[in-house]
Amino acid sequence: METDLLNTLVTEAIWRAEELEALGIRPASSAWEDVSRIEEQLAKALPVSEAQGRIARRGAVDAALKAGDYDRAQALTDGYLADEAAPASLKAALREILEEADQEIASHFQHAAKHHTPREARDLARRFNEAGAFGLAA
Amino acid sequence: MALERNGHAPGVRVSLELEQVLSNGSLSWPHVDMSKIDQHDHNRITEDGAEAVALALAHRHRAWRIVRRMQRRERADWLLEDARGNEIALEVSGVDRGNISGRLFEKLKQVAKNADIDQRWASVVGFEEPAVALRSIGGY
Repeated sequence: METDLLNTLVTEAIWRAEELEALGIRPASSAWEDVSRIEEQLAKALPVSEAQGRIARRGAVDAALKAGDYDRAQALTDGYLADEAAPASLKAALREILEEADQEIASHFQHAAKHHTPREARDLARRFNEAGAFGLAA
Repeated sequence: MALERNGHAPGVRVSLELEQVLSNGSLSWPHVDMSKIDQHDHNRITEDGAEAVALALAHRHRAWRIVRRMQRRERADWLLEDARGNEIALEVSGVDRGNISGRLFEKLKQVAKNADIDQRWASVVGFEEPAVALRSIGGY
């Protein structure tokens, strides 16, 4: 898909998500998921050496978090961090985005945060989710 | 709508400040039915109006074209490019009543935090006394 078309789509998607969020409309999370998916496509189309490629990578992770999809944000971050061509500034920015999300979660669940980091909690949740109901008993 | 709400009509004179160089221009737009203004969010009218005016001005005076909108984390609303393909980060804001200079300073500080784009600009549009400023972070 051409980047011009993806840029048009992401512009419209960001606008829509921001408007829904400003109005406090619940489906804003699905609108942010759309933003994340389009940013991910832009990240695939644009090299990390270009500013637009870095904007798209940060945008894909940030929008995934706004959509409440922490697993996806983590998976995207892991993939982008594994790219040897990624500059240190991008890697630092991606880690900062996840850390901010972790701090926000920890502030909402202060008691739980004393025992587990948000990342540990997410890993546990993913394992339970993958194993299904019987996995809990194993 | 942001201009008509302040009693202005199409063709109104506007003060322009491009990199601290002052000039005048005029703004024209299709006439708006103000009877439905209550259906719109007050701040949204100001911000959307500012974006329309700022982007038109950036194209008219700098020949910049829009690449994409950016998310808030990027500290700028728009990614633009000039005729040579150089990228520009542009932060836009609107002021319904009062002077625009204070807001311009705030927005320049904000867009300066964008680390990826060399050319960082802010534009503020005032609607009470129509005025537009477009300035780079090197210009303050």
